[in-house]
Amino acid sequence: MHHFDDIYPFSAIVGQEQMKKALLLNAINPRIGGVLIKGEKGTAKSTAARALAHLLPEREVVDECIFGCDPKDPKGLCLDCQKKGELKTKITRMRVVELPISATEDKVVGSLDIEHALKKGEKKFEPGILAQAHRNILYVDEVNLLNDHIVDVLLDAAAMGMNFIEREGVSYVHPASFILIGTMNPEEGELRPQLLDRFGLCVDIEGIMDADTRVEVIRRRQQYEEHPEEFLQRWIEPEQELRDRIVRAQKLLPTVSISDEMLHVIAQICIDMGVDGHRADITMMKTASTIAAYQGRTEVVEEDVREAASLVLAHRMRRRPFSEQRMDVQKVDQSIQKTQTGHSHQHSHSHTHSH
Amino acid sequence: MHHFDDIYPFSAIVGQELMKKALLLNAINPRIGGVLIRGEKGTAKSTAARALAHLLPEREVVDGCIFGCNPADPKNLCDDCQNRIGRLLTTQTRMRVVELPISATEDKVVGSLDLEYALQKGEKKFEPGVLAKANRNILYVDEVNLLNDHIVDVLLDAAAMGVNIIEREGVSYEHPSSFILIGTMNPEEGDLRPQLLDRFGLSVEIQGIADADTRVEVIRRRRAYELKPHEFIAAFRDEEDDLRNRIIRAQELLSSVTISDEMVHMIAQICMDMAVDGHRADIIMMKTAKTIAAFNGRIEVTEDDVREAAELVLSHRMRSQPLSDQQMDKDKIEESIQKSQQQHQQPEQQEEQTEQDQKPQENTTPDGSTTTQFAEGSPFKVNQKPLSQPRRIDSFKRDGSGRRSVTESRDGKYVRSRIPDRLTADIALDATIRAAAPHQKGRVGDLAVKIETSDLREKVRERKMGNTVLFVVDASGSMGAQQRMTAVKGAILSLLIDAYQKRDRVGLVVFRGNSAEVLLPPTSSVELARKCMQNLPVGGKTPLASGLSKGLEVLQREKMINAHTIPRLILISDGKANVSMGSGAPLEDATEMAAAIRDFGISSIVIDTEQSYIAFGLAHKISDDMGAKYLKLEELQADTIAEAVKGIGA
Repeated sequence: MHHFDDIYPFSAIVGQEQMKKALLLNAINPRIGGVLIKGEKGTAKSTAARALAHLLPEREVVDECIFGCDPKDPKGLCLDCQKKGELKTKITRMRVVELPISATEDKVVGSLDIEHALKKGEKKFEPGILAQAHRNILYVDEVNLLNDHIVDVLLDAAAMGMNFIEREGVSYVHPASFILIGTMNPEEGELRPQLLDRFGLCVDIEGIMDADTRVEVIRRRQQYEEHPEEFLQRWIEPEQELRDRIVRAQKLLPTVSISDEMLHVIAQICIDMGVDGHRADITMMKTASTIAAYQGRTEVVEEDVREAASLVLAHRMRRRPFSEQRMDVQKVDQSIQKTQTGHSHQHSHSHTHSH
Repeated sequence: MHHFDDIYPFSAIVGQELMKKALLLNAINPRIGGVLIRGEKGTAKSTAARALAHLLPEREVVDGCIFGCNPADPKNLCDDCQNRIGRLLTTQTRMRVVELPISATEDKVVGSLDLEYALQKGEKKFEPGVLAKANRNILYVDEVNLLNDHIVDVLLDAAAMGVNIIEREGVSYEHPSSFILIGTMNPEEGDLRPQLLDRFGLSVEIQGIADADTRVEVIRRRRAYELKPHEFIAAFRDEEDDLRNRIIRAQELLSSVTISDEMVHMIAQICMDMAVDGHRADIIMMKTAKTIAAFNGRIEVTEDDVREAAELVLSHRMRSQPLSDQQMDKDKIEESIQKSQQQHQQPEQQEEQTEQDQKPQENTTPDGSTTTQFAEGSPFKVNQKPLSQPRRIDSFKRDGSGRRSVTESRDGKYVRSRIPDRLTADIALDATIRAAAPHQKGRVGDLAVKIETSDLREKVRERKMGNTVLFVVDASGSMGAQQRMTAVKGAILSLLIDAYQKRDRVGLVVFRGNSAEVLLPPTSSVELARKCMQNLPVGGKTPLASGLSKGLEVLQREKMINAHTIPRLILISDGKANVSMGSGAPLEDATEMAAAIRDFGISSIVIDTEQSYIAFGLAHKISDDMGAKYLKLEELQADTIAEAVKGIGA
């Protein structure tokens, strides 16, 4: 997309380390399931989300397929690709597809191709935003302002990675598995819990309180606006380094192993925090593995789990009146200690699963 | 469906035995009538429902029939098959899971005119919809509580008759549509209409597993599945085959399962004692018990089978009181069983009034102040009058049931089309083309489809309308006196039940200490509102102005997101403001905010919690400033009692 070419570079964003980490982890491992960035106005939320597009890795897709099907996954192909015999493939970069909050339902799920119907007298499915989002990032700015029925549709698709269409004269089904990235300003209203839970990770960000760092934010912005080309030029190298690091982490990820002990720590944290269901556990496991890969390790350590917990649990805690909805780091540490003492009693030796 | 080949295997789902049982019983005996899976987020609800597709048995169908007619049932054949009776070829196919997406429009659900056929041949032909595909199959609705009201009506119609009758777009058609309904829902997102609830044969409530080792197993299997899906699926192939064979054996056994008179009596006794509506529960319980016996390889229904069936059949049929936490009472079933065993015919008095713990719990909050938790007062029926006085009736039309309404603007959900009565910009092109299609032969023009004004159809959109009721509740120290908060909680709960019945959105703002907080942004889930209210701490000063300001802010935002909503504010306080927002006096600040609320056009009610013998009348003053209806806490209840006496109760 051309307008991303001169976008502010990801690596030039000052501070906000947790947000950047959360985004990078998703770029490495799309199965983490996206990230919700909550924060006040003017904290580089949207800038970071859009800048991520430049760092996204390349992957193989079926040539001329609107859904960008994965040729290596014959069972997950769209209806068209299934009919094709031999699949021509090409390498493209993952992209950021935007879902504007004014989007109508037919544009989101897809509808009857009116032009085709009028000209040819035939029915044809016109893909919507969910189709474009398959294997890409679906980005919703101000996600808490999204219309209720659009949220319903999103939830439906996000649940199974498929979009079923039964509307306006067309029946169609296509894969729609995407990384959901949303930003919101909590002052403008909250998000429905069900949608909240669909975001793998969540970060709370606020303005930086250190004067020198604030000055640096202003300085870089000024340089970028006055001489954008020069500025971008200067950041080519750091951007490339970050991209290489993502690629290395992706290669390492399948070899990362997680011990039984660490799995117990994860389960114990989730039980103690009283989260709903099991999505938190599974996401925490994936996130911890991805953090390990990002750090160049092939074994998940306690520190990875701790970091993953803070990213996974922030939005899944049951709300208590008049208490800050912050994740209680001490409580996580307590859970970790609990499993450590409990574990040494139960298991004389810990065995590791590696894949 | 091809995409499901890769799905997580049913037998690999850890725990959730009741849910798995309910699904399997339906696969064995479709006449049980489906299952509703209710539960919190992330508990494998959808995974299980979709995984069932792999285990479904084969059955005989008419070859080439789109409805999959049953050749052994000549009375329920479709028109086409009836014409070919005696010459029907049959084949074996597996039952399938047909998905009904919540974005579905009416034409695709019930079926409509075949567009291509009409354009090419100039003739009308029926094109089957989801209800046709669902015949003799499973109709699966994910997040069923989010389904559009209009689509629900259509579903209920077909489910009740087993037939789908189409009279639209010049097509008249009728075809069999008898399906097993499987739905999943998260109750936090809003509830289901009782008629739809009753259509589900069974229901299960599920939650996350609390045991650490089992949770680890959940994570471990998910990890193995995602790393190497094909190997994972292969590892469970034997278990899947075993389960499928067990289903087939149970099906063969089912017709020979007998149920004794004693057991039938037991079923009737349970249903009577549980005070379920109608007889559907009895009949389904009998079928379910028989199917359980067959699943266990027996040909005689035992007491345990009935017990298990009762749990599956009754849980969603006993929630006659909205919001009552009343889980299905296993003890009560036990009693019924014993009763029926002893052949006791006299109905026993039921006097087990559960003793509510009225003693408040004391807690200390991080800010050092002591807060107190009060029990919920018991709910009562609310006087309907204060809540139903919309100020500007001309701007909206609301139907009696208070559900979603048809909107005139273009921002709702497109559900169906109609002939417009005046010029419209919101054209339903699909319906317009369908209308034009049969007449193409006689028309001239450049396009393949020639459209005239008479073909035009407009979109009918639905969106959630109705009230947004925001409770602004005083939780300051003064509310703690004399069990005041208990009565207030009773009042809120009663108003919540009222809101539930009208499908209003509800929100909760609480103020105490130095600030106000939005405990619950407006939501359609009354259950969530209730949960929030249960943990309401009391204590500290009274920042009334902040409370009102926060309330106004929330309602203004609601109005921005949904222009059709009617904002309502219910202030519950004694009006004794003693914390100001800025530098002004606390009461003046509150008065100012009250006026701002009035000026924004919010119709409000003030429920005064002040004890009458030390009256300052402050809440009354605030109420006047807000242009609100003023009620004393006691009156809210007294009015209703008076009404009930007159026999007008809602």
